[in-house]
Amino acid sequence: MPRLTINGKEVEVPAGTNLIEAARRVGVEVPHYCYHPGLSIAGQCRLCMVDIEKTPRPTIACNTQAVDGMVVWTETDRVKETRRSVMEFHLINHPLDCPVCDQAGECWLQIYYMKHGLYDPRMTDEKVHKPKAVPLGPHVILDAERCILCSRCVRFCDEITKTGELGIFHRGDHSEIGLFPGRELANPYSANVVDICPVGALTDRDFRFQVRVWYLDATKSICPGCARGCNIEVHTNRRRPHHAEGRRVARLKPRYNADVNRWWICDAGRYGYGAVDDKTRLRAPSRREGEAVADATWEEAIAAVAGTLGRLRPDELGVIASPRMANEDLFALRRVLERRGIRRVGCRVPPREPGDEDDILIRADKNPNARGAALLGLDGDAAAVLAAARARQVKCLWVFDHDLLASGWPEASVEQALRAVETLIFTGPNANATSERAHWVLPSAAWVEREGTYTNFEGRVQRFRQALEPLGQALPAWDLLGRVLVALGAPAAPPRAERWFGELAAAVPAFAGLSYRSIGDAGQAAATGPA
Amino acid sequence: MTGERILMRNFDRPDSHTLAAYRATGGYAAWAKAQGMEPAAITEEVKASNLRGLGGAGFPTGTKWSFIPKGHTGPVYLVINADEGEPGTFKDRYLLERDPHALLEGMLIAARAIRAATGFVYIRGEYVEPWRRFDAAVREAYDAGYLGKGFDVVVHRGAGAYICGEETGLISSLEGKKGWPKVKPPFPAIKGAFGMPTIVNNVETISHVPHIIDRGGAWFAALGTRTQGGTRMFSVSGRVARPGVYEASVAITLRQLIDDLAGGVTGNGRLKGVVPGGSSAPILRADEIDVTMDVDGLRNAGTMAGSAGVVVMDETVSIPEALLVVARFYAHESCGQCTPCRESTGWIYKMVRRIVEGRGRKEDLDTILDVARRGAGTTICAFYDGAVGPYLSYIEKFRDEFEALIAK
Amino acid sequence: MTASRVQFSGEQLAEVRRLQALYPDRRGALLPVLHMAQDAFGWVSLDVEEYVAELFDLSPAHVHEVVTFYTLYFRQPKGRHVVAVCHNLSCHLAGAKTILGHLKTRLGVEVGATTPDGRVTLLAVECLCACERAPMMQVDDRYELDLTPEKVDRILEGLR
Repeated sequence: MPRLTINGKEVEVPAGTNLIEAARRVGVEVPHYCYHPGLSIAGQCRLCMVDIEKTPRPTIACNTQAVDGMVVWTETDRVKETRRSVMEFHLINHPLDCPVCDQAGECWLQIYYMKHGLYDPRMTDEKVHKPKAVPLGPHVILDAERCILCSRCVRFCDEITKTGELGIFHRGDHSEIGLFPGRELANPYSANVVDICPVGALTDRDFRFQVRVWYLDATKSICPGCARGCNIEVHTNRRRPHHAEGRRVARLKPRYNADVNRWWICDAGRYGYGAVDDKTRLRAPSRREGEAVADATWEEAIAAVAGTLGRLRPDELGVIASPRMANEDLFALRRVLERRGIRRVGCRVPPREPGDEDDILIRADKNPNARGAALLGLDGDAAAVLAAARARQVKCLWVFDHDLLASGWPEASVEQALRAVETLIFTGPNANATSERAHWVLPSAAWVEREGTYTNFEGRVQRFRQALEPLGQALPAWDLLGRVLVALGAPAAPPRAERWFGELAAAVPAFAGLSYRSIGDAGQAAATGPA
Repeated sequence: MTGERILMRNFDRPDSHTLAAYRATGGYAAWAKAQGMEPAAITEEVKASNLRGLGGAGFPTGTKWSFIPKGHTGPVYLVINADEGEPGTFKDRYLLERDPHALLEGMLIAARAIRAATGFVYIRGEYVEPWRRFDAAVREAYDAGYLGKGFDVVVHRGAGAYICGEETGLISSLEGKKGWPKVKPPFPAIKGAFGMPTIVNNVETISHVPHIIDRGGAWFAALGTRTQGGTRMFSVSGRVARPGVYEASVAITLRQLIDDLAGGVTGNGRLKGVVPGGSSAPILRADEIDVTMDVDGLRNAGTMAGSAGVVVMDETVSIPEALLVVARFYAHESCGQCTPCRESTGWIYKMVRRIVEGRGRKEDLDTILDVARRGAGTTICAFYDGAVGPYLSYIEKFRDEFEALIAK
Repeated sequence: MTASRVQFSGEQLAEVRRLQALYPDRRGALLPVLHMAQDAFGWVSLDVEEYVAELFDLSPAHVHEVVTFYTLYFRQPKGRHVVAVCHNLSCHLAGAKTILGHLKTRLGVEVGATTPDGRVTLLAVECLCACERAPMMQVDDRYELDLTPEKVDRILEGLR
């Protein structure tokens, strides 16, 4: 392990660490554009110059590995002067159109100009003109004049997705990023190029012109789109809601986690939040009698559901839980099942189409918490519950999240089962064909409206935080289940997700010793091996 | 001062490019001798010769060869840079056309020294006739059994890009990519073409090798200066009476080259400036030409030996117009990889063009100088530093000509 | 989707394979094969780029990068002859501007354009390294040296 000195501070780093990363360890930021820790070294932006003692002139930090005894200075006069020069070169042909650029506020040209540039502009000649507002694919739009040709996006498509859609064409100051004419940037990870673009060249078509980034709040979360559990940030627009036509989630961004998703997320996950604010949201508890649907109060709904659960024999009760529910919800549900001795419980419902999968991030299992459900003993095949319903053994069926009518099961057989039960209860954030058949609907909060944990396919327990208030009267599923539990005679139910998790950790061996604090931002492995 | 012609000894024979002629004048004897030498001994002989790279950088050739990692067991490649393109230079064209077997024999010897089993010869795409001549020589050498017995030669044609004369740009191009130079480290001798240790040498450099092996490193060293051995081929063009390629000791002075070999200055007969080493070499004024043409002699004079392309300008030449031509060239040929070079070659070209077109502003000259100085030394390869040489020297040495245009 | 028009003959494909085998990584043969393709198809259209990309199992964007980087690949149909006048330093000193102006007048086209009859494409190019015989130009494969307007006229007469 080489030990070196950076700005007078000693640091020991693993062999092979470059000077940008080594400097990070002592809290020193070396400005850079082309370097990205997840991509190969390009060395072309020339901004990350540092002084190394016994080296005649400043050297790029990205391509210099730490060596034992190296003495590095990142703020010498000539380094600062070189940075200023390089900033000027980066900007001479830039259109300086910040007022109409989505990247404004999170643009590294702006940030570094303020920090390291601040020269007087002296380029008065006609700038080089290049294509503007070119859609590259479903999610990404290019302004080649804003591009600083750092090649991060090209390297991403070459090295991460290995799809090679992008290239740098021509040469000299006419060089430009682009696609082969007629092709699209449509790989399943395409929008990551927006994240890694340090400037406003590649922007997000979905987010474009929606809101200024400085009005956004960021909340740490977990993508619920598949069993990977990619770490994300949820960016919400609470300060300028009138700019978004009721759309509260402005965008999702990947959040680095070395063990899960590194810097990336897939497009399906990134744009998978539409259901949070769409028209199908269930805003209030409701009751259906015949064709008539009427809102109900939570008191009425809880009393009715608890009454039904309490009235019927346990073997007349069936529950289809969901691998989309958080661990806390599933544990609260388990308490309800235990209290009533309910044994007809399933969770796994086959999807109509098999999920796509790759060797990057995307998992075929599109549920965020199938592993958690399994660790909680709730992963039984829901087919048995449905079969029992069809056989008229089940009088009350409580379905969480699933649209059984859109599942891999034959619609007629689902239809038959739903018709056979006397009381169908549905809990979920969004309406679907199944919820429309329910006698009682107990709306649950969407994942961004509450906190909780998911256990990913590798058994990693990860926290997601609350970014927004629940829409309408929706409640976190653990909350409404806790109310049912109390209505069934339990003395009390935990008032917060964290407390539910504490009870879960105390009760389920796989979660023993875990807490919200220990899980932290990066997640923690459940004890998933053979006990 | 001209002494013996070594590289050009056969140039006057009409059949000099053929194997028969080459053999008739002692060709491939050095290869026979080298086959009896240990690889390390060959490298030592070349080191002793003080042969320095004649493509532009002037790096000691034997030292370069010795950078191949000792324990390496995989392939090693020898790559010949025949991507001649430095404005004012045309010597390699002569060597490829008139003595291709000298290059092949040099390659055989160099390959033995560095243990390369494959040699690539990268010929610029515009050189059709030189390529045909060289390719024919390769076929002759295969037929005669020089090649194909432990050493193969692949002739590769470029496609039009000056930057491919830069050794790592050349390697990228050889690999089927844009000619973007590669970040160093790793250096080519460690990880070069196709990821393997690679030595890239210029045509003329390698063409010297048979003579060094034949007559000894000490003999070669004695032909030159203390720090650079041998002769080299000077390409002389511009306003001289007898433009052409001249072989002379590297110890010749620029004045001798212009006056004695090239027949003196034409135009109005009075010298204004000379580019001594291809367009990337800073220009010298008429009073700066009593300088030896070796690498260190020209470096000490504030310019560089480069590719030994000497371009002579008499007093009637407009230096601003000459700089416009040069600045256009660098803007056109910048590969676009490193920001300072990509952006400022275009910017400086625009400023120079404005000045020449009579739309200059008084601050332009200082801006050009400042921009050029700020970009110097900040890029992956030497291309931009090569552009800075003329930007700075033309303006600093002939500032009044630029100011006269701006004042108009 | 493009293969119907752009397709090497069996013999040419064998040559492609031979070239690819010369390099430790077959991609090394990309420039030579693009030269071949230009000879075979007249110029390097996007269809040609896609076809060559298939032959190398490369993304077409990477072939496009190469084709747009180098000056010798024609991305538009070219004339039956290409006249490329050097306008770099030594030729500039020897009157390249006059030669180029003469050619523009004689051919009636600007630099970069092809005569309407498809006979000649006129280019201005950087140093071709025949500075000792400046001004000069390349006509197809040949270097034409020591140019004067009269010599240019004689050369043009030979181009059909």
